[in-house]
Amino acid sequence: METLSLYVDRDSPVHRVDPISKLLYILAATAIPIILPSLLTAAVVLAISVALLLLGRTFRRVIPLISVIVFVLLTILIIQGLFRAGNVTPLFQLGSLIFYREGLLYAVRISLRVINIMLAFAILILTTKPSDLFETLVRKGLSPRIGYVLSSVLQIIPQMQNTVGTITDAQRSRGMETEGSLAVRLRAFIPLIGPVVMSSLTQTRERSIALEVRGFSAKGKKSFLNEEIQEPYHRFIRWGLLLSIILALVWRVAA
Amino acid sequence: MKKIIVDNLKYRYPSAQELALKGISLEIEKGQFIGVIGPNGAGKSTLCQALVGLVPHFYHGAYGGSVVVGGLEVLKSEISALALKVGLVFQNPFTQVTGAKLTVYDEVAFGLENMGLDRAEMIERIDRALTLLDIYRYKDRNPFDLSGGQMQRLAIASIIAMKPQIIVLDEPTSQLDPQGSEEVFRAVDKLKSEGMTLVMVEHKIEKIAEYADKVALLSGGELVDFDRPIRVFSRPDLERFGVAAPVYTRICRDLKIKDEKTGLYPITLEGAVAAVGSLE
Amino acid sequence: MKREGMWSLKLSTAALVLIPVAIGINYIGKFFAELLRLPLWLDSIGTALASMLAGPIVGALSGAINNIIYGLTVSPISFVYAITSVAIGLTVGIMAYKGWISNLWKAIVMGLVVGLVAAVVSTPINIGFWGGQTGNVWGDALYAFLLAHNYPVWLASFLDEIVVDIPDKVATIVVAFAIFKGLPKGLISLFGGGKEIEKL
Repeated sequence: METLSLYVDRDSPVHRVDPISKLLYILAATAIPIILPSLLTAAVVLAISVALLLLGRTFRRVIPLISVIVFVLLTILIIQGLFRAGNVTPLFQLGSLIFYREGLLYAVRISLRVINIMLAFAILILTTKPSDLFETLVRKGLSPRIGYVLSSVLQIIPQMQNTVGTITDAQRSRGMETEGSLAVRLRAFIPLIGPVVMSSLTQTRERSIALEVRGFSAKGKKSFLNEEIQEPYHRFIRWGLLLSIILALVWRVAA
Repeated sequence: MKKIIVDNLKYRYPSAQELALKGISLEIEKGQFIGVIGPNGAGKSTLCQALVGLVPHFYHGAYGGSVVVGGLEVLKSEISALALKVGLVFQNPFTQVTGAKLTVYDEVAFGLENMGLDRAEMIERIDRALTLLDIYRYKDRNPFDLSGGQMQRLAIASIIAMKPQIIVLDEPTSQLDPQGSEEVFRAVDKLKSEGMTLVMVEHKIEKIAEYADKVALLSGGELVDFDRPIRVFSRPDLERFGVAAPVYTRICRDLKIKDEKTGLYPITLEGAVAAVGSLE
Repeated sequence: MKREGMWSLKLSTAALVLIPVAIGINYIGKFFAELLRLPLWLDSIGTALASMLAGPIVGALSGAINNIIYGLTVSPISFVYAITSVAIGLTVGIMAYKGWISNLWKAIVMGLVVGLVAAVVSTPINIGFWGGQTGNVWGDALYAFLLAHNYPVWLASFLDEIVVDIPDKVATIVVAFAIFKGLPKGLISLFGGGKEIEKL
């Protein structure tokens, strides 16, 4: 069965870094360009993220993630370039439309921020197995009950997708219309979603029972089948990232 | 040694008007195999869930009387503490998979991790349980990729690994195809030969006749009979409780072939053969 | 039957198991809305149901985890909108507890409130991340129009969001309400029923 994940199974130095360090990288890549809001900072962070993705041999997988938002970023560029309040310096003209420097710069800054956050998350997502991420979080103190919820979502969605396929075919063969006017399509929604929802909700009782009889509500400390992988250099990475955020703050205050 | 003592157990579900169990009393000895039979709505599943503490701790509702399992009083114990004494396997193999683990091996570990066992102990128990249930070769598969019978054996292995003294099986084959059922019954054979105390609800009455030391006949939330299978299946009013006697009993009854010593109809193939043999 | 307090923080196993199902329902709602080419997202039906069944805390958790998982598996930008999902879960949970799911008309009012809350919470996020846009064609067209006529960004952005959110959330709550009313009593009491054991 497929589980829901964007993880790319590779052997790379980035893959071997622990999930907590990658979470801290997201924090740093988001916070530092906000603390030091120059285009240069954003560009440096962008370059580091791209380098890490290349090192992790997962750069190609980022492109579809980014292309989803490229369209929105383009509309931001157009709308802000044309209409942003405070637009005074015309930069260029397309027909009767005048694009302004201030609006375009603002749009570039926003786009860089969004892309930076996306890439930082992409490093975590593409190079970390979700199950490893959740297990690490539980080891670090996340409630094991929440850990269960996170892991089980990744399995339940593909299962529900399978059910959905079956239901769609069944309803179509009964002659239900999934084409036609808006009213027709709206009416089709409940019969499509109803059966999956009902059956999955009724299954929650049995699943809860199954968990209970396996000691899910036990109060004692839980253990782990898998051994925790700890490398000495992980600690250096974490401290390095925290330090870089602190340095950025100091720089901001001093400057 | 008494493993289970049920004393005047009464129970009503929270959204119900009527009692699901109306004062049930029975005692089960160590190593016994107890078959539970009766029509739909007799309270069989409720009784099973009362033995593992889901009634009342999971459902809440109204509760009276007492159940003592492996020395623990159910009403005063948490489900997770009871889980170390008594395990439950139920109908749907699919919903018994936790859904949080990606391999069969990790799935069995789920309960052991909750118990806080150390790694070495876990690995030993998981290997043993998977081997006993004959699913070790699937250890790296995703649990949801197994067949119904394999999944149900995984559910049993997951319970076995927790080393309970008693296992309750609530219609473990009712949602399986014939091949899956046969796989599960073979697993039940093994548990019985290991000397496990077992309580099983089952519609395939021949299986009850084959395994059970005693049979509990339930109807309308009451315990109608609790006796050796040959006695329960010989009741002339059995069909009134929505239970058909084993096929061998029915044939022998039609042919009027009785066991000479007891004067009762045989309930298994072996019994029937022996009874026919003694005629000649 | 006595109900648990609305903010009862002891998350029962049944309530926890409800969360992944709720997220699955969100996913399926979105899938069918796209299949039927409806001009709505319908991607928070499960969150709304979890709130109706198990209260605001479970609803809020469903919303948050929904966006975390979506962020991990589909699009990272979804993380920041977790706040909106939490707000939806809380609003539905509180209103449902106070009786706003007793009939269809009340449910529609609830949908309007939820749409308003979602828009209020999303607007600052939209401004921070997208300069105020939502990515929805109709909403963004309105936004561009308002900006061109010198309306302030926050107002343009809020209206951009609300023209999409109000119909979407009303439809979401009505669907969730219809499903909730069709659920068996025993199931509803599993999540919201009293937690004490009566003695017989």
